[in-house]
Amino acid sequence: MATFDKADVEKLVDGVLPWTAVQEMMKSPKDLDRFDQYVEILQGRVDWDERILLPLTPALFIVAKNGSRVVKCRCGHEFGDYRVNWKLSALINVRDDEASLAEVYKGRELPDPSWVQVREYICPGCGSMLEVEAVPRGCPPDFDFLPDLDTFYDEWLGRPLPDKCEYRDLTPDLILEWSG
Amino acid sequence: MGDLTLREQLRDNEEKFAKTGSLFGLEQLHRKESDPGTYEALWHILSNLCNLAWEVGCRVSSSPIAVEGGDALWALNLPTGEAVCVSRGITAHPGLLADMIRNFIDLDYEELVGFKQGDIFENNDPHYGGIHGPDFDMAMPIYYGDELVAWVSCVTHVSDCGSVTPGSVGFLNPDCYSDGLCISMEKVGENDQFYPWYEKRIRSRTRTPDFVLGDARGRLAGCVSLRDRLMDVIDKYGLDFFRDAIKEYVEDSRRYAVARVRTQTVPGRIRKSQFKDLAMKGKNHILGKQDVDCMFNLPMEVEIDVDANVKFSLRGASGTVPFGENISPTALKSGLLNGYSHIIGFDMFNSGPTAAWEVEMPPAGSWANPFEVDWSASSGVAWAPAVMWMSNLYEVFGRLFQMRGFIEEMAAGAATTMTAEFAGITQLGYYLAGLTLEQASNGSPARGFADGENSAWCIYTPNADFGNAEVTELYYPILYLGRNIEPDSGGYGKYRGGLGHTAVWMVYGTPGLEYQCGCAGMRAKIVANHGMYGAYPTWPDAPSYAHKTNVKELIEEKKPLVHERGPAERPTLETAIEARDLQTHPIAPFVTPDELQNYDLIVHPISGAQAMGDPIERDPAAVEEDLNKGWTSERVAGDVNGVVFSENGQYSVDTTATERRRAEIREDRKRKAIPFKDWWTDERRRVLEKENMDPAVLTMWRTSMTLSPDYGDELRKFWDLPADFEF
Repeated sequence: MATFDKADVEKLVDGVLPWTAVQEMMKSPKDLDRFDQYVEILQGRVDWDERILLPLTPALFIVAKNGSRVVKCRCGHEFGDYRVNWKLSALINVRDDEASLAEVYKGRELPDPSWVQVREYICPGCGSMLEVEAVPRGCPPDFDFLPDLDTFYDEWLGRPLPDKCEYRDLTPDLILEWSG
Repeated sequence: MGDLTLREQLRDNEEKFAKTGSLFGLEQLHRKESDPGTYEALWHILSNLCNLAWEVGCRVSSSPIAVEGGDALWALNLPTGEAVCVSRGITAHPGLLADMIRNFIDLDYEELVGFKQGDIFENNDPHYGGIHGPDFDMAMPIYYGDELVAWVSCVTHVSDCGSVTPGSVGFLNPDCYSDGLCISMEKVGENDQFYPWYEKRIRSRTRTPDFVLGDARGRLAGCVSLRDRLMDVIDKYGLDFFRDAIKEYVEDSRRYAVARVRTQTVPGRIRKSQFKDLAMKGKNHILGKQDVDCMFNLPMEVEIDVDANVKFSLRGASGTVPFGENISPTALKSGLLNGYSHIIGFDMFNSGPTAAWEVEMPPAGSWANPFEVDWSASSGVAWAPAVMWMSNLYEVFGRLFQMRGFIEEMAAGAATTMTAEFAGITQLGYYLAGLTLEQASNGSPARGFADGENSAWCIYTPNADFGNAEVTELYYPILYLGRNIEPDSGGYGKYRGGLGHTAVWMVYGTPGLEYQCGCAGMRAKIVANHGMYGAYPTWPDAPSYAHKTNVKELIEEKKPLVHERGPAERPTLETAIEARDLQTHPIAPFVTPDELQNYDLIVHPISGAQAMGDPIERDPAAVEEDLNKGWTSERVAGDVNGVVFSENGQYSVDTTATERRRAEIREDRKRKAIPFKDWWTDERRRVLEKENMDPAVLTMWRTSMTLSPDYGDELRKFWDLPADFEF
């Protein structure tokens, strides 16, 4: 089994590892300690202390916080329970007419706003564009990933987390609240 | 397997797998463990035999699709059908070929028809496992002595199968009765020769019989080459070793895929919505029911469980369409194996990984499972919606790999497939209908550590070879005026997708030529739902052409011609030439209403792939490099990437000003965006009122929600719509 220097993994994360070294990584049997290395690198780059349980995206993490697990941006902004689609706690900018779409797509590139809208999910903390969706009106936002965190830590990594959390999509519960 | 018939062997294999969780009950890989060197060597020999068959078969073939594009594939299969190893070529097919052999066994051809050395079996019928008419799937049993020890199978994509319109991308086919010549699970020859009726049927029912028959001979030549050389291999390594090892390769591959999922992904549920348009209203069509615009819902849900089993669902897939864009579940699963082999099970590419996944039966009556409800649905280019669904797979697993830190394995979404087919009299005086392989060279998806590569990738074949321009000019009455990297065609992100290219063709040497700008998986009205980590998806596919031009005069006067596509708002075609019929933005796909004439021009762009990451996180140095290479425009560099630059012969980026500009953009975004709940409240009203929703979108939602009632319920609940709400 291959192992790689943390410094090389860090370069890979930053997109500056030379291509030949990246190819070696691709070809080698995968290193079993990569997850821990990666989390360590990411943990070292944020200004907050909560433990990263899973890097959801390059900008968003599921972290342990006071006995719960929440989605947190690298900037520190928190989006709440990881079992609720975090997009419902984000800022959103929607391009659903020609004028707003034309700020991105020009002339022959312009999509038809009666067929598709472009949704931009913005972090209220740092203004990062976290995800973009291009879907027709009526499409609920994708809940990109609901991890089974306890199975991951218990069964796959073999080191259970100190607390347990039911593996369930809680997004419909929030919608019920909003619906009154 | 002693005296068991092949059917009995199939049942026995199923029982053993159910009992042990290992294919063929192979809880240990004895040959691999006891003699790993020979095990590995034999694998490479068999793999090379498949590639040899591909080389021979393509060279013997006649059509440019096989000869120049290599759009074909050969495989070695177990006696019960499972693919053991495959050649390069169109890797969407190993699953189909395996299922075809299994179907012959299930239908008891062993007893009813009998198998012997030299027999040739074929199928191209989508009702019985084919993907679409032009893909002729073939299989021949291989005997060593008296024992059926394997099958060799193959596919070539022929230039015309006699469907209602010329060529092989039958998006316009209104029903299966217009899909052309059918070979429905038939024995088409014996003693390594086709039956006379086979040749006669092709002669009477296809437009380009010499090419189609040439390709049939290519298939046969490849199969016979592989079979003959396999005899030597079995002589050398022994039948017992061969018999054991080919099963172990399949189980080995299953184990590899499972291990890869377990060590490189995370259990849980991933959802990825995806959509595709097919805008046909007001265009040339065959039957009245086709005067309609269509939108496809292509949802992918993936569940990974504790045992690393992967379950795919298409819950919510929309209904069938009155065009050739419906696919059987068998063909869909084979397509999925193609994508899976790219990102999960690529160590030994064979049927093994399919035993580690489950594909929930798509909703009956949907584009992904048409025949249960609409037996007459067409599959003229069944691949079209399937490949766009499969594009989700790259992003889905790219996200999972990121979570475990395997950045080097990440990928964004795939490019699209807009085809160019020509039909008419060539410069040599004969009729030809056929596909250029221009679309077989997209940009590759953005990676977790770098941009994708330009014109270097194709989702359905690892060859990614668009063929030589000069050779394509020999086959078709066209001349290349340009073949250029298309700027900004890889989406906008921290890492952009590899860029596509644009071909500019001048029609020349023909009394008249039909240009079919076909859909084998493209979009014209919408962009893909591939805004991974905050990137903007690449634009819709947009070809153009000019009919009855002044190009002949421009050439005589030695004036500039059209060599590239030009700016989005001011296409070169519009500014450089004059034409009586100038179509700068026709909505694809389409067939030209009139035959094109000499000196008419076609501008055919091949898409780049998708980007990933926030575009204002793109390295300013990469933007500068793209500007200087002409790979991005000033508008995108400034407005989308937020880069401040100056131009004095060379572009130069101002890093400090760029940082300032990007900070302003972030603040602008926060000011402009609104809390999701506020938007949800307002959008709910618009959904209820169906505000600015095209009829195609409404039809799509209606069929999705009817065919998958639980999907419909979930959608209603999300928007807090009445229980009886319908679009």
